[in-house]
Amino acid sequence: MGNFLVWAVWLVAAFACLGSGIAVVSFTNAFYSALALIGNLGSLAVLFLLASAEFLAAAQVLVYAGAVMVMFLFVIAYLGDTAGLPFRGGGPSWVSVGAVVAATAILVEVVVAIGLKAGNALSSVDEIESSFGSPGEIGRVFLTDHLLAFEITSIVLLIAAVGGVILGTRTRAEDELDAQGAAGQETYGRA
Amino acid sequence: MAGPEITWYLIVSAILFSIGTLGVLLRRSPLIVLLSLEIMLNASNLALISFARLHGGHDGQIFALAVMAVAASEVVVGLGLIVAVSRRRLTLDVDSFRVLRG
Amino acid sequence: MIQGAWLCLFAPLAGAFAITVMGDSITRRTAGWISTLSVFVAFAGAVVSFVGLLGESPGEREHLSTAWTWLSTGSFKIGMTLLVDPLSVLMMLIVTGVGGLIVLYSIGYMDGDPEERRYFAYMSFFVFSMLMLVQAGNFLLLLVGWGLVGLASYLLIGFWHERAEAVAAAKKAFIMNAAGDATMALAFFVLIWQTGTLEFAEAFVGAEGMSSTLLNLVALGLLGGAVAKSAQIPLHTWLPDAMEGPTPVSALIHAATMVTAGVYLIVRAHPLFELAPSIQDLAAGLGALTLLVAGFIALVQTDIKRVIAYSTMSQIGYMFLGVGLGAYGNGMFHLMTHAFFKALLFMAAGLVIHHLAGEQDIRRMGGVRRVMPKTFVAFLVGSLALVGIPPLSGFFSKDAILASALASGGYGQLLFAAGLLGTLLTGLYTFRLFFVVFLGRPSELVLQHAQGSHGRPEEEDASRTHGKTAHGETASHGEGPWTMTVPVAVLTVLAVIGGWLQIPDVWHPFSDWLHDVAEPLVEPSVTQDLVASALAVGLGLVGVGVAWLFYGARSRELPRVAGVRHALEHKLYFDELYDLVFYRPAVWMAGVWRRTIEEPLIGGSITGVSLGARRAGGVLGETQTGYLRSYALAIAAAAAVLVVVFLAVQ
Repeated sequence: MGNFLVWAVWLVAAFACLGSGIAVVSFTNAFYSALALIGNLGSLAVLFLLASAEFLAAAQVLVYAGAVMVMFLFVIAYLGDTAGLPFRGGGPSWVSVGAVVAATAILVEVVVAIGLKAGNALSSVDEIESSFGSPGEIGRVFLTDHLLAFEITSIVLLIAAVGGVILGTRTRAEDELDAQGAAGQETYGRA
Repeated sequence: MAGPEITWYLIVSAILFSIGTLGVLLRRSPLIVLLSLEIMLNASNLALISFARLHGGHDGQIFALAVMAVAASEVVVGLGLIVAVSRRRLTLDVDSFRVLRG
Repeated sequence: MIQGAWLCLFAPLAGAFAITVMGDSITRRTAGWISTLSVFVAFAGAVVSFVGLLGESPGEREHLSTAWTWLSTGSFKIGMTLLVDPLSVLMMLIVTGVGGLIVLYSIGYMDGDPEERRYFAYMSFFVFSMLMLVQAGNFLLLLVGWGLVGLASYLLIGFWHERAEAVAAAKKAFIMNAAGDATMALAFFVLIWQTGTLEFAEAFVGAEGMSSTLLNLVALGLLGGAVAKSAQIPLHTWLPDAMEGPTPVSALIHAATMVTAGVYLIVRAHPLFELAPSIQDLAAGLGALTLLVAGFIALVQTDIKRVIAYSTMSQIGYMFLGVGLGAYGNGMFHLMTHAFFKALLFMAAGLVIHHLAGEQDIRRMGGVRRVMPKTFVAFLVGSLALVGIPPLSGFFSKDAILASALASGGYGQLLFAAGLLGTLLTGLYTFRLFFVVFLGRPSELVLQHAQGSHGRPEEEDASRTHGKTAHGETASHGEGPWTMTVPVAVLTVLAVIGGWLQIPDVWHPFSDWLHDVAEPLVEPSVTQDLVASALAVGLGLVGVGVAWLFYGARSRELPRVAGVRHALEHKLYFDELYDLVFYRPAVWMAGVWRRTIEEPLIGGSITGVSLGARRAGGVLGETQTGYLRSYALAIAAAAAVLVVVFLAVQ
């Protein structure tokens, strides 16, 4: 019974994950894509839980779905209509074909790799304690075995914050453009 | 363990990764490209978590946390770029940034 | 004594080097004095060597002095070796003595020329090269000197390089000499191959074992070089054109020293020639032929320097005649006296040219005697010496050669007849020149310059000659500055007394001096000497008389044999022949090769390389599309490939 429940939850979460992923890539309206991504992140959090990564599931929902996606939505709101653009039109067609081919190739290769490993290493799952993915455990490991990763990650976040501030400052050129009004859009580079 | 084996998690991760790749390569709006990039990162996070569960060690989860932090930073910078581009009244089309041609 | 020889060799080089290095920081006059001094120092060194040799007994008079080993491969070694023996010391004295006088003369002659320093550097360099040639202790150094004098000659003939004729003449001289250099080099290759050495003594000994064909080839190669350098037929056409150079250059290089290098070579290498007697006879024959041909051509030349140039060619023919028959001492004796009176003639002619602001056409001259009496005397002495009138120097030397010819059997007697005819011609053309230029009423040109008005004439003449300025000393100052008149005076004295070093059968220090170096193959008897002398002097006087008839008293018109006159004026069409046989085919072939090989293959391959690189670059440039998506696709494709690679490696 428990196993059946786990399987059911897993299947629902997996399909939701993949479906919302396809939705993100397909929608023309960027707002809908962002909402689909939130759904994707949520179902991923469920999958994390099933894989005994509780802290990470919580972090995923809080940070990713909570903060990052809100940022995305703010920007989409700011950009308005200009945000989303469909597939084709402009650009060489061989890129599209090549993209499909490359993505399919990667998928097939990874599946094959998994298949080759299956039956050997992937079937013997280690035993774990119940506090495997708990915050306490994660915290302890962060501050002892992986202290360097911890510190570097914090520096990366700092740099990103500074970068974000710099990118956000208004320049004189933009003020002049605003003064001229939003009359037409320039294209960028040699098209 | 209860539920599907690690193999299934990995297959889900692989499919999600390819979906993300298709989105990055096929969409022309930089915003959607960023969203697809997020999907790819999450797919790899899923793979990392699964392997952590398989080997009983915390390394995968720590790595996934670091990836999450880096992804968040990258989103900040990417969104900043997109906002700067739109403030200059330029077209938000990946194909129109062709200055490096030649 | 050895140090004297080294000093002699390197002093002129030091002079040339100093002038070159100091460049504009010294005045032009100073450059001239440096050059003159360097040559006179060399003369002092030569005198020291001479005195040293005098003090030794005849058998010991050979010294080799090696400074360092220059070239050494396997068993073949060449050293920087000087040879001090009677022959080389004789040449050293002539080259530096006469050369010093001529360089001194140049100070006055070239005064005012803007490139005087270059001139004097070249003159010192030439003296050094000539000394290297005569002092060389082995054939290779001799060849080095040989080539360097060719270079110096080229530089000095083309000294006034704005004149196209001068440049062309310089090239012609150099290329013809190069033909001779090539034959000499081939001869040396054979010598090395057969004897393994280029040292004189060892090569001569080793040559005795060679086959006669090879010996003939070696001698022929050496003769080729001698013929080119000494302007004998068939390689003679460069010498008249070489008169484009300044007159002192003509005096030094093309009368006294360089052109006599061929004679020196034959005497130095006489053992090789004696082993190939047919080639030695050929040398004598070529000499006889040249002396006649040159004599005939000189009869119709109108440029004062060209007459003297053909005369030089003719007199060297006498020297070749002498050494070709084995009369080495007499040949060298004539070389020495010829250096005196020929340099004298050139320098006296130079005085006339200088006075007339560059005019060289004798048809515009006349009566110069009234204006330049001292030059008249000098020229007269030189002319008499050239014709061989006793007791001047030419008499003793030329007649000695003729006597040796008479004593040399049938072939020699044939050449003797040619030589006698030559003396007739010599008298004729020499005094034709003398009478036309110096006697009679002064021509218009001469009168102009006598009064010292040189406004107009210089402009007319500037087109024909280099713009020589300063003949500031007018007639009232004499006939030229002391730097010009003193050397002429010295040479006049030498032309008179120079022959008194060898009076046949009475006293002969000259041939004794050279005896151990080059033992003559023929010794004329007293009777033969007297017969030869009488005939030669007689015919010479006949020539003078004929010249007087036509040119002196101007009493008769010249006989018009149109075809002959035409042919002689065109120098017997040698130039046209060489143009047809050598120049045109060479130019044609060069053109053909340029079209078929140079442009398509070599030029094409170079442009092909660059074109190919550009096309490849263009093709590769297509990958830089500028599309972000294509770059991302490249990354994705690479990742796909890498996954496969990782899987395979597992």
